[in-house]
Amino acid sequence: MTAPDPLTWRMPPRWVLLVGVLSIVCAEVAGASMARFKLELARWARGAMLTHPTIHGLVGVRDVDERILDEALVKFDAGLRLFHMHAEGMGLVVIATATVAATLAGPGAARRAIVGLLTIGGAGYPVGYLVWSALIPSQGLERAKTIAEWLVWIPFGSAAIVALWWLAALVAWRIWRP
Amino acid sequence: MRRAKPPLTSAALLAVIVTAVASPVAAHHVGAYVPKDNAITTNFKQVKFSVQAKKFDVALQLFETGALRAEMRAHAATLPAGLEEGTRAALKAGDGAEVERRLMLFFAALARDLAREADRHLADGAATAEVRAATGRKFLEAIWRYYNLVDFAVSVRDNKTSVALRLAFDEADTYVKPTAAAAPLDPGRLRQPFQRIADILSTLVEASSTQARRDS
Repeated sequence: MTAPDPLTWRMPPRWVLLVGVLSIVCAEVAGASMARFKLELARWARGAMLTHPTIHGLVGVRDVDERILDEALVKFDAGLRLFHMHAEGMGLVVIATATVAATLAGPGAARRAIVGLLTIGGAGYPVGYLVWSALIPSQGLERAKTIAEWLVWIPFGSAAIVALWWLAALVAWRIWRP
Repeated sequence: MRRAKPPLTSAALLAVIVTAVASPVAAHHVGAYVPKDNAITTNFKQVKFSVQAKKFDVALQLFETGALRAEMRAHAATLPAGLEEGTRAALKAGDGAEVERRLMLFFAALARDLAREADRHLADGAATAEVRAATGRKFLEAIWRYYNLVDFAVSVRDNKTSVALRLAFDEADTYVKPTAAAAPLDPGRLRQPFQRIADILSTLVEASSTQARRDS
């Protein structure tokens, strides 16, 4: 029996592939839903904003309020679009980077940690945009952003960034010591 | 002799440190908002550009079917008498300067009403300094959205009014800036520039309307 070629790509664990593919599926479903229910979503968001006038700083003067509502609706829509784009992209990033990690990192805790952080961080980060968007009507632009940041973007984003730096260091090390 | 440990652990540690120090973890792409024209400002631009191109029939049609005329009717009680009829007559006569003057009066009146409304809102003593500043900022944006459309027309006819209004606007802008809101601001002081804007525009509307009556 011969030893495997060290340059052969190794598959990451199947659950990682499932998470990556699910992320892409969610992105596509979200994109299609945004197009199909654009009007309903905008109506719902506008209605919810009007029930929270103080949170949005509405003053009851059309010429002032229309701009506040317009900005919130634009950001609400942007949140959904950014979720669609990030979930699509991060699904691919998870699969690609986990494959690199599975190939270059030796079996053990380091490989499991890199793959775990990449998968959880990469798949979790886009959800922050969905959270942000969903919270805008009831919490206002800034508070919704703060909640999404501390609940999703910072923890999951940090996990992904740490794992990517770690992976970059690993790749550099393998160039130096194949 | 003890073999050196693979540098994976130290690399990971380094990555964590670099990330913690340098990574902009809180910098997320959340899009940018560019304020759009509303139906009134859009219709104004359509009419203005048609008049500039001497297409008065097109301008008249845009005026008759657009948001400008609807808004003139909705605000008829606070606008100079006969503003709508006068604008229509100027469009039919192909008198570009008079169309411009009538529209200047209309937007000056809209901005004046907003400044008065802002003053009423800022008089609310129960609101915190931050809320008052935020309310002032929103009203200022709305006032400027209308006034800046006719500032050139105002400055051509009455340069002093244009300068006085800009000064009042700048003062109000200083008070409502987020950095200025951090320090408690006397509500009376915040109201002053808005009252001045309302007074200046009121004088402009009245003077121009009187002038128009004399000329007719």
